[in-house]
Amino acid sequence: MWRRSASFVLDKGLLPSPPREHPLRSADDAMEPNVLQDPNANPSHGISAYYQTRAEHHAVVTSDWLAQAQAAVALTGGKPFSVIDEFNYWRKKPDLAEAVAAIMALAAFIRSSEATTMMELEIELKKASDTLKSWDTTSISLSAGCDLFMRYVTRTSALEYEDFNAAKLRLIERGEKFGEISLKARRTIAMLGQDFIFDGCTVLVHGFSRVVLEVLKLAASNRKNFRVLCTEGRPDRTGLRFSNELAQLRVPVKLLIDSAVAYTMDEVDMVFVGADGVVESGGIINMMGTYQIALVAHSMNKPVYVAAESYKFARLYPLDQKDLAPALRPIDFGVPIPSGVEVERNARDYTPPQYLTLLFTDLGVLTPSVVSDELIQLYL
Amino acid sequence: MPDVQALVNDFVLKLKRRKIEGSQASARQTAELLRTVVSQQRMPYTNQAATLIDAVRTVGEHLIAANPVELAVGNIVRRVLHIIREEDLTSTATAMEGLSLIANSDDDDNFESHDHPALSAAALAAAARSTLRAPSLQTLLEGTPESALAPNPSSSGGDSEGKSKSADRSSRTKKLKHDVIEAINELIQDIDTCHEQISEQAVGLIHQNEVILTLGRSRTVKEFLFAANEKKRSFRVFVAEGAPRYQGHVLAKELVAKGLQTTVITDSAVFAMICRVNMVIVGAHAIMANGGVIAPVGINMVALAAQRHAVPFVVVAGSHKLCPLYPHNPEVLLNDLKSPSDLLDFGEFSDCMDFSTSGGSPLLHVVNPAFDYIPPKLVSLFITDTGGHSPSYMYRLIADYYSADDFVVKRRPTS
Repeated sequence: MWRRSASFVLDKGLLPSPPREHPLRSADDAMEPNVLQDPNANPSHGISAYYQTRAEHHAVVTSDWLAQAQAAVALTGGKPFSVIDEFNYWRKKPDLAEAVAAIMALAAFIRSSEATTMMELEIELKKASDTLKSWDTTSISLSAGCDLFMRYVTRTSALEYEDFNAAKLRLIERGEKFGEISLKARRTIAMLGQDFIFDGCTVLVHGFSRVVLEVLKLAASNRKNFRVLCTEGRPDRTGLRFSNELAQLRVPVKLLIDSAVAYTMDEVDMVFVGADGVVESGGIINMMGTYQIALVAHSMNKPVYVAAESYKFARLYPLDQKDLAPALRPIDFGVPIPSGVEVERNARDYTPPQYLTLLFTDLGVLTPSVVSDELIQLYL
Repeated sequence: MPDVQALVNDFVLKLKRRKIEGSQASARQTAELLRTVVSQQRMPYTNQAATLIDAVRTVGEHLIAANPVELAVGNIVRRVLHIIREEDLTSTATAMEGLSLIANSDDDDNFESHDHPALSAAALAAAARSTLRAPSLQTLLEGTPESALAPNPSSSGGDSEGKSKSADRSSRTKKLKHDVIEAINELIQDIDTCHEQISEQAVGLIHQNEVILTLGRSRTVKEFLFAANEKKRSFRVFVAEGAPRYQGHVLAKELVAKGLQTTVITDSAVFAMICRVNMVIVGAHAIMANGGVIAPVGINMVALAAQRHAVPFVVVAGSHKLCPLYPHNPEVLLNDLKSPSDLLDFGEFSDCMDFSTSGGSPLLHVVNPAFDYIPPKLVSLFITDTGGHSPSYMYRLIADYYSADDFVVKRRPTS
């Protein structure tokens, strides 16, 4: 059971305690009436686990979120080693990206696996990665991380070892090393990205991206004078949190409502966004609103820069906005919604590559077309 | 090495005084100078590559600082650094063949710890070579040496010192230097022959009865057009004169001498004539990492006109003009202000130079910038000595020619 796993002990230390005791079903029933009607039956009841994690990382853990997270975990328990438990343990770490959590979980899976041949291990691993992926189909970086890891297992010099144990050890070690990349990647991106911030420029950011924050932090610590405009980022108010972080760095910040982007675009020198996932076309999938900001920036000839780690490169090729499974999240309008009115609850949109100028990744500064090149090189 | 120092100083002075004109000449002379530097360098028994890199780096810094606008100088310095790194890796790998992998090179402690004989030296060399290439997803997953993971600009260049462990170095004391000099010779040859390589592609691009527009005079463009003419293509060339130096006039004369039908137009007539043009071919001063181009002044206007009328805009340039920096980089000077005498003779405006008005500064200013920056989206195609490339694929060429550690040559001493 999940309660007995080591992750539980650590979880307790990490999260605030109050609603911990009894994750009753009623807690999430009461939460949102229309959640249950949702056909997208995901363990976390229609709400994208990806956004749940993000919300927790950003320290707005409401009792609802917690109750849901617990319910989700409780539903999946049962096996002696559950890759999902492991994954959940890793993803609660505030600085760890989801893809890296997945890789860590898979590495732990290899360690605990009792397979005796490489083939067996591979099949088991494939199953584990599939469970992991199906657990949260809305998270792009999760599936990208799983794919990358699987790719590594099936195609690497590690498999040239005659001794199975040596190969297994190497896989584990590689998996863990891959995890370390997460933090390093962010630093690399910050180094690359901060060159593009020049003195006296105005940067528009949208959404709370840890990478973008790192870039701006580094730029600020290098004594660059720049101004940041933050969109509010409804409904989870990512902009408020982002502006709070920046204000602590003494960077001049201005908050905008999401609809003021076009109005302020003429004073903006560059748009800086993060990404949930970078797809094969070189476009990005990011928080709702990125697409329209990119469109406005494009029509006003402003560069749009994306900061994203390379483990977010996913083998997806969305042709339009509706091509991806929506990642749903609750939206609070503050007032009761009239009955019979639908609400668009998708949390992200797809920005096509022609509206992006450059991507800052740990592989270097790339044009969007390089992304597909990289992915083809890897998966061909 | 007093004589090398003298040579370097001489060259620096020439660069500073702008006595060397054109990127090809500067590139070639830089390569020759660096060849001398390498051949005069005393080689210690250990850490040869690092010594060479250091020597080239220190000279390179001076050269780049002497004329920061001439990006070709910096490009060649980086190319030479890359050559040294590459040659060092190859020689390490070949030495390894005899040594059966015991003392391994910098990157793979994994390989080392398992000491697996199935990995051939060739595979090792390939792995090591991949560390030189720009990091990609693949290298991230497979061998993951630190240097490839973080193309850290401030990490000082000597990531190859680690290799000094290898046992019988002395046998290849001479080898490395020799190989590097060989490779630099090849580079010089490449610079010399780049025009031929580029013009070979002319027939495929210029079709019968087409109208080509160019601005100013670029040697690469000239040879390109000649090559098409020699292959019995008949086409017409519009030459915009390229104020203020009117190099277009010179080009027009040269073209006519070869029997090409040529029309000279003023720079301001480009937009009027562009609808009759099938293709714009221009030369460049430098190509930046994002696919943007630094070219003689006036070309941005031509590019905009070409885009307006959907005319292909082709840039021909040798690979020594390929610069691994982005135009936003603070160390890239995008422009050079030339003497105003190109625009006006001193006598003509001397009466406007009344220093008594407005606090001792004259009312008339003359500005004569040398370059334009053309954003990558206006360029349809680059023709380099390795073939045609779209702007978004410039990164690939850069990854081939340069190693990530060398992008910043200058910043090292200050940090």
